[in-house]
Amino acid sequence: MKHILLATSIVICLALVPLVITKEYILNLIILVSLYTVLSQSWNILGGYTGQVSLGHSTFFGMGALVFRYLWIGGLSPYLALGAGSISSLLLASAIGFPAFKLKGHYFAIGTLALAMIALITVQNVFPGVSFIPPQYLKGYSLFPIYYMALILGTVTIVLVYGLSRSKLGLALVSIREDEDAAEAIGINIFKYKVISMSLSTLIAGLGGGLFSFYVASYYYYVPFDLGWSFDPVLISFIGGAGTVAGPILGSLVFVILKELFAISLGQINVLIFGIVFIFTVLFFPKGIIGIPKLLQKKKLSVVSMKEI
Amino acid sequence: MLKFFQILSYGIINGGLYGLVALGLSLVFGVMNYLNVAHGGLIMLASYVTFLIFSSLHIDPFLSILLVTPAFFVIGWVLFKVLYQSLMKFTEGEKIKNSLLISFGLLLIFANLAILLWTADERAVAPWYTGKVFDVFGVRLPYTGLGGLALAITVIIALHLFLTRTYFGKAIRAVSLDHEAATLMGINVNKVCLVAFSIGFALAGIPGVLTSLHAFNPAISFDLTNKALVVLILAGVGSIKGVLIGGLFLGAVEAAGVYLVGTPYREVFGLILFVLILMFRPQGLAGKKA
Repeated sequence: MKHILLATSIVICLALVPLVITKEYILNLIILVSLYTVLSQSWNILGGYTGQVSLGHSTFFGMGALVFRYLWIGGLSPYLALGAGSISSLLLASAIGFPAFKLKGHYFAIGTLALAMIALITVQNVFPGVSFIPPQYLKGYSLFPIYYMALILGTVTIVLVYGLSRSKLGLALVSIREDEDAAEAIGINIFKYKVISMSLSTLIAGLGGGLFSFYVASYYYYVPFDLGWSFDPVLISFIGGAGTVAGPILGSLVFVILKELFAISLGQINVLIFGIVFIFTVLFFPKGIIGIPKLLQKKKLSVVSMKEI
Repeated sequence: MLKFFQILSYGIINGGLYGLVALGLSLVFGVMNYLNVAHGGLIMLASYVTFLIFSSLHIDPFLSILLVTPAFFVIGWVLFKVLYQSLMKFTEGEKIKNSLLISFGLLLIFANLAILLWTADERAVAPWYTGKVFDVFGVRLPYTGLGGLALAITVIIALHLFLTRTYFGKAIRAVSLDHEAATLMGINVNKVCLVAFSIGFALAGIPGVLTSLHAFNPAISFDLTNKALVVLILAGVGSIKGVLIGGLFLGAVEAAGVYLVGTPYREVFGLILFVLILMFRPQGLAGKKA
């Protein structure tokens, strides 16, 4: 209950931010954190809860962006376009993603990476140009609608993952992560739950892509298909804590702040630092930042019990 | 028809390179179930080292192999001690997953380190024989490509002989079959793994020399890792002879794709082949082990 109250008050505060702060820099930061939260929560459902490490989420992110941009410029309202983009990501997943479940363990990771590369090369060749916003849209370009879309998407995603983590469905997904054969033995239809997990994940990734396309005015068509959109959510979720609700949020916050700190002075070095932190997380803190307090507690406990003996 | 043979010859030359690219990855994965996706990043770094050696000391790239490989052997040794040794105690599945994640982090670090040190611009080593070709009935065979193919075949056969004919090579193969049984036979499994891992890294130096002869930049790491994984799956896990065949097969498939559809989609054919094999024959085209 305490968590819910805290989360609600944070969301209300964030909703009031644009009324108080008019600095675009702060709004941009919050939009970026929301964007990365949406994307990494999407990855978290499939990779963190279900244990299927995907290296191909850029495919679904990019699909959402592509369809959103096309429909939005075609005159559809942003939120309808967002929905359509999200659903087209799901359709793409059902064509190429679900068959990938024939791949187990690490084969799934490298198989989805291959899919992401196929998508990237194809988009680079089919849509070689830059996607511009028409001038009449650019005149009305303002951060406020983007800010609220980011906030709404972020909140919806987090609520969804929170609900998932406390539901029977979430339990089924975790049981697949822990031991696929044992889960099957107790009567869990593995394929069905993997498909549900991936559907949720790709729907959210598509929403994230739509947000990107709404936020960034003009970009090369292939940019949302860039492999970075596949890799970043993996790093963010693991560093924050994969398979938890708060982990990806915390990870996104750290990621965006690091990115901003070093973007001016050293450019790429944030990815370098993040890569090093990621390796250390995998080796020493498998539960991520979220799990560190618990880890320390356990160590203290074990010291105490040693003394008692 | 000439165009067909031209494309096919380039495909086979590329195929030799792909085999060489996959060699170290295949050895490490076969012996200790470490999926080292950072391998492409290592090859990219080796290209830069070759470039630096060539531009400062004017040493021929093919000769600089003698400098690059020992250096990468040492890098492998250090990284094994620092990062990978602690994974030895895990079960097979955990080993693959954790090594995949760690080396994935390494891959990102290598690629971004290279951008920081040398920028994202394209470079190439250009010794005197660059651009020179043999003309065989109108089919143009570049010196560098033929040299690379010869090098690939030599190295792969040499590694095969090392693993089958020498005492230490046999120990490596014993460890790859069964760690416990190998321990019981008096083999120091930790040491064998350390050396095999370092050899895997050293083997990244050789294709790095070949990739430096064409335009390269930090982003080739991802393509190279990808090629290595495709060949690994084509060859079947742990098969050294299969690596050469798998590489040549991938080169030929890409050549067919270029001939039928066009150059921009060259990579796609290999990838589609890869996904299909992963789905229907995950033990590889040649492999028997499930």
